[in-house]
Amino acid sequence: MEVSSPIIEKRIVIEGIAVIGRYLPGLLQALLTNVQLLLALLAVGFAIGTVVALLQVYAGHFLGVPAFLYEWVFRSIPALVLLFLFYFGPLQFGVSIPPFFAATLALGFRSSAYQSQIFRGAIQAIPQGQMMAARSMGMSRVRAIISIILPQAFRLSLPAWSNEFSSVVKDTTLAYAVGLNEILRHARFITERYYNLAMLAYLTIALIFLVLTYSGNWSLGWLEKRLRIPGLEMAGVSGRGRNLSK
Amino acid sequence: MNLLKVENIHKRYGKEEVLKGVSFELKRGETKIVIGPSGTGKSTLLRCINRLSLPDKGQVWLGGEEITHSKSNINQLRAKIGFVFQDFNLFSHLTALKNVSIAPIKVKGMKKEEAAKLAMEELERVGLGDKADAYPAQLSGGQQQRVSIARALAMSPKLILFDEPTSALDPELIGEVLEVMINLAKDGMTMLVISHEMGFARSVADEVIFMEHGVIVEQGPPQQLFSNPKHRRTGEFLHKITELYGETN
Amino acid sequence: MKRKLVISMVVLAMVALGGGGLAVAQETYTVVSDIPWPPFEMELEGEFFGFDLDVIRASAVVAGFKVDIQNCEWSILVSSVQAGAKDIGASGLTDFRERAEKVDFSNHYWLANQAVVIRKDSGLNLVSAMTGKGPTGAVGAQRATTGGWWVEDNIQAAGFNVELKQYSTYPLAILDLVAGRIDAVIQDEPASISSLTAFPDELTIAGIINTNEYFGFIVPKGDPNGLLPRINDAMVVLGVKTAMASTGVEEFEITEGSFWENLVATYFGPPIEKIEAAWSKCKNLLLSATCLEDLENYARCMADAVKE
Repeated sequence: MEVSSPIIEKRIVIEGIAVIGRYLPGLLQALLTNVQLLLALLAVGFAIGTVVALLQVYAGHFLGVPAFLYEWVFRSIPALVLLFLFYFGPLQFGVSIPPFFAATLALGFRSSAYQSQIFRGAIQAIPQGQMMAARSMGMSRVRAIISIILPQAFRLSLPAWSNEFSSVVKDTTLAYAVGLNEILRHARFITERYYNLAMLAYLTIALIFLVLTYSGNWSLGWLEKRLRIPGLEMAGVSGRGRNLSK
Repeated sequence: MNLLKVENIHKRYGKEEVLKGVSFELKRGETKIVIGPSGTGKSTLLRCINRLSLPDKGQVWLGGEEITHSKSNINQLRAKIGFVFQDFNLFSHLTALKNVSIAPIKVKGMKKEEAAKLAMEELERVGLGDKADAYPAQLSGGQQQRVSIARALAMSPKLILFDEPTSALDPELIGEVLEVMINLAKDGMTMLVISHEMGFARSVADEVIFMEHGVIVEQGPPQQLFSNPKHRRTGEFLHKITELYGETN
Repeated sequence: MKRKLVISMVVLAMVALGGGGLAVAQETYTVVSDIPWPPFEMELEGEFFGFDLDVIRASAVVAGFKVDIQNCEWSILVSSVQAGAKDIGASGLTDFRERAEKVDFSNHYWLANQAVVIRKDSGLNLVSAMTGKGPTGAVGAQRATTGGWWVEDNIQAAGFNVELKQYSTYPLAILDLVAGRIDAVIQDEPASISSLTAFPDELTIAGIINTNEYFGFIVPKGDPNGLLPRINDAMVVLGVKTAMASTGVEEFEITEGSFWENLVATYFGPPIEKIEAAWSKCKNLLLSATCLEDLENYARCMADAVKE
């Protein structure tokens, strides 16, 4: 059975765009929720990811093995499942966590597993001599990690971390499933009022995310430039710096 | 009084015993050079002295304090021993100045301004005052090694260990580093150096120690070892490296 | 530089996490509703209105408390109220036994039945569409609604081979119906009428299934805030009384000329555009109302405006 596609008629498309235009401020305000979630989950992921990576590289079996298990668990479970677990799980026991917090934790822990991988690779890419030199000057292992290893590791991590950023930007919309009032949820106001504008509405959101991801990556690129050590090329996580003056 | 006493060090890696009972002493102000074929445990010996490696048997004393198996804070002990690596191992994310000042700040708790002043002095001492704000990647090998010597000096160590300090350098750059080391020796620094620079050995070493297969074969003043070695092997080895590396002043 | 970066990230995260709650001082209760679901809850330019929401606002004015209306996804709405995280639920909620075990219901304020929407040109009728005799053998409903459950309990359980497709929102079901992927959509009657205004040429109502569903407002079990008596009394003041008829069916007595009568006339019947226009015109009367007279002015304004 053929479906008439009014969307293709030009007049309707132009009217449609005008309608979407009216909803744009609301959409952008809802986008703020996505951005807040993004920042919160990245912060959680960063903090935990760093700790996990350090445990994996430097701690003995007692702490190192749980760290690897943690990473494996949170990299294996789908993001949506994690969201449901963190929201509907506690609900089973009568505890209602606000969707924003549940989403921050679920997506934050998941990101921490990926970030820990990035950081571990970066830490292991740093030549052993750095730690040896630091320790032979009397620095404790902790001091050497904080002052010598981590600053270099974070710089090395930036390109891969930019990837993780791009990935989780999109994941914020998954929080819709646990009821967070973010941009996709807001789109319902359009799609349930104007049934035939669904495609335009989602195209608009896609465009918004294009801009958001691009800005994020651009900012990280700027950060990379600012932190660049003169003379040293950052060849990504798996590469070492190349000394250009040799 | 002996500043450094190394007694009967044994070290094994896996099945192979790399150090089979090494003993010697260093008085304050002395400079001793360790030579020998590669793989004879020279680097391992140095690492045992500042406990980067732990010897299986034997002991090391620094200024009367036993350091190999002591329960006391190894970081404090290491702060008294400078170490210069073959690969320089400068901290690549810090400027030359920060490289030199970071240990006094973080390990000794020195204030930033004071440490910066101290670092500048040490950099000038090695002839690199004008490179204070350069990053290691912007420096030549010789310059990096000199910075790493300044870095060791900034901690006012009792003793500096040098692990083949010029082996990774282009021939043209070796001279500037040796010059710094000669001045250090003349200023009275206690130094233990693994090197093949015989010219350097001849000019400042109080003693040359020849090691092979994990033991000290012979040790004595450079003149004696060069002209009148007790062991055939010593003479052979010295002959070889003089041939290969030539003499440097 | 690095330290500033870390601090600003931590501050950003804290702002993000803390951004949620702004406490309002006076006696205020949170009302959750799955918006939009015309004509019970609607949205225009960032403002929420509709039958449910206007009634709850009016009840609050009469009872003397304030309400903070929040948009809440259907899948977590009832559980939010059940857990006490939200105080009132006003979202076309049908009162049935399993739900009443989790939350407490106010007096009923609406009788809804399920309507079945089909394509005009499908040649099907109510029975053939619902029993899977159509070209796709499938019907659609919004997930976790009484419409879907009715199909499971009464048609599938009776052995008819009909596929029930569940959608996260009912407009998605309607779109599939228009596209020919399913033969019918079952949903509450008022919402069905709304759907028709979007596709007047393609769709029609095949029939009404008398499911006798009554809507009520919900509060956490045990009514910890003591809101139910106040809401129930307010609804009487606003012009509706529920009474059991001799047939055993609950009936609504609506006072003539009351707020309630005018509100019903506003929301049930006129097309959405008219309702939106009326809201734009009259909304301040409701939002600044402090007494019953203000509320009745609002309702009158709305009822007149939709006739224009």
